Amino acid sequence: MIRLIVRRLLYLVIVLVIITFLTYVVFFAGNPNNLAARFAGRDAGPAEIRDAAIRLGLNHGFWYQYWHYLVGLLHGNFGLDFQNAVSINSEIARAFPVTASLVVGSVILWLLIGIPIGIMSATHPRTLRDRASTTFALTFLSVPNFVLGLLLLLVFYYYLTRAGLSWFPAAGYVPLTQSPVQWLVHMILPWISLALIQAAIYTRLIRGSLLDVLGEDFIRTARAKGLSRRTVIYKHGVRAALTPVITQLGIDIGTLLAGAFVTEKVFGLTGLGQLALNAIGNEDLPVVAAVVVLAASFIVIMNTVVDILYAVLDPRVRLA
Amino acid sequence: MSAMRADELEIVEEEDPELNEQQFESRTPWRLAWRRLKKDRVAMVSLGFIVLLILVSLFAPLLTALIGHGPNAQYTTKGLSLSGIPVGPGHNGFLLGTDDQGRDVLSRIIYGSRISLEVGIGATFLALFLGVVVGLFAGYYGGFLDSVLGRFMDILLSFPILLLAIAIVARFGPSLGLLIFVISLFSWPYIGRLVRGQVISLREREFVEAARALGASDLRIMFVEIAPNLIALAVIYATLLIPVNIVTEATLSFLGLGVQPPTASWGNMIAEAQTGDLFTVAWWFLVFPCVALVLTTLAFNLLGDGLRDALDPRYGRSHISAARKVRRAFRLRRTLPEPEPVEAKA
Repeated sequence: MIRLIVRRLLYLVIVLVIITFLTYVVFFAGNPNNLAARFAGRDAGPAEIRDAAIRLGLNHGFWYQYWHYLVGLLHGNFGLDFQNAVSINSEIARAFPVTASLVVGSVILWLLIGIPIGIMSATHPRTLRDRASTTFALTFLSVPNFVLGLLLLLVFYYYLTRAGLSWFPAAGYVPLTQSPVQWLVHMILPWISLALIQAAIYTRLIRGSLLDVLGEDFIRTARAKGLSRRTVIYKHGVRAALTPVITQLGIDIGTLLAGAFVTEKVFGLTGLGQLALNAIGNEDLPVVAAVVVLAASFIVIMNTVVDILYAVLDPRVRLA
Repeated sequence: MSAMRADELEIVEEEDPELNEQQFESRTPWRLAWRRLKKDRVAMVSLGFIVLLILVSLFAPLLTALIGHGPNAQYTTKGLSLSGIPVGPGHNGFLLGTDDQGRDVLSRIIYGSRISLEVGIGATFLALFLGVVVGLFAGYYGGFLDSVLGRFMDILLSFPILLLAIAIVARFGPSLGLLIFVISLFSWPYIGRLVRGQVISLREREFVEAARALGASDLRIMFVEIAPNLIALAVIYATLLIPVNIVTEATLSFLGLGVQPPTASWGNMIAEAQTGDLFTVAWWFLVFPCVALVLTTLAFNLLGDGLRDALDPRYGRSHISAARKVRRAFRLRRTLPEPEPVEAKA
């Protein structure tokens, strides 16, 4: 177990180095002097541009800047942003709760939708119910995130409000600490728009996995020794079928924490994705690099958590 | 006696009655797959839709000439009401209405289909090429090469893909070629991993051994002996990758990093509709591009699903037998009467 964790942490470090390196390469493939000129202001002379370059740390070579950045990261410091010279740590601290609320809520919602439908569809294969759930899954699998979000806004915000029922607010984010009710009301539509699409994927995943498990010998044995259908499906079948689901869940949570850009943009949530999008628009390298590093860490960390959970849940992995 | 009856039942169960009807036609695997696919009504409708879409995008200039409205022409008098509100579907000869600048939504959707298909199919072919070549080398040679390439694919897959794609596009400026390149850059590892897995099992098969005994070179074995066995897999996953890539293009265009206006793409049409609040009174110029996008991805997904069942009989059969096992274990629904108990003969 400890060996697994150590190996995973080592892997995390390697991935982070590669990812930060690539981010730097992508940005420096452009011309850093343009960057300095942009941040020096509209009618800056060569001297001001040089000052700006020094202020931004662009006067040093590529390797020096990259190394400097890595050392800062090791101290838990993402540096200052180019735009306003604000500490990036504080910007991330502001954006992260928004993304986290979005992700946590929608994860709960999509598991609540996806798992029961998946189980129902696997225990009644090739029936009307199964076909209905397949149709549900394939439909939402084919709907892009922003399309669903915009249509939800159109119907549940604009049309309902015009009909005199202002149940849902337009967009924006209200912190949980400020007003739990408003927080919930503001998050419902974003949650639904993320959750329906993800639930579609999970329905298929659970259906396939449970169908495989229910075809195995130990299920027949359990049936043969006289356990009830309910016990066999829920205690023996579902438990074994959830392993691949947990893997996928880990990856998905990591990816979404990295920024559900599109959902955040559609619903005007100022989370990590918006932060990154704005930074990319402003060519604000340190902020982009910070979000990329965070994102990759989330993905790798969630993968590690999944691997460990796997070992806990499945004795075959633990003992192997 | 009882053993014989059980065998007969098995055969009846597995055989496809329609396959026996035309006994004089040669049964190549492809013809068999096509026959299976033809029976799948959903897949055939999807195929029809895709063919129609391809024709529409090929003949886009002709169609818009017939409609009489160019994709970028602004009909400020005919296409907008006096207060500047877009004309609704069916009015003034605009079948799907106009957008906020008085342009014909239908013409723009027709031209947008070109972008979607170009990027979707182009990026998929590029990804397919890369994935098959890398997968072949990794799977065939194994060892160090495999672990390096495999790790590389894993790392690419664990990237925050959209974020990096956005960063790259933002850096080098949006263009159609770059879009195709970036999208395929992040989608080839899916194919690569699948091909690698398949090649690992194929390389141990007798026909590979036979080819090697005849003195075939590694390259010949990989590309002449093994590669043809990958076609079914490639066709299935290419069909399933196209809608993913179409959505990625639309998403990038929606975020303003893909195809740039005024060139019409479904993604930037939706983005333009979203920027003003005009779509709340004129829903059509938001909803119709959305519908086009959803129908297209749905058609490719459904066709891919059908192709998987038709082309990969192993998958289909194991699928069915799993369902059958469940049914047997729980006696939910029987399609065949259980064989009557036969008294054992001494």
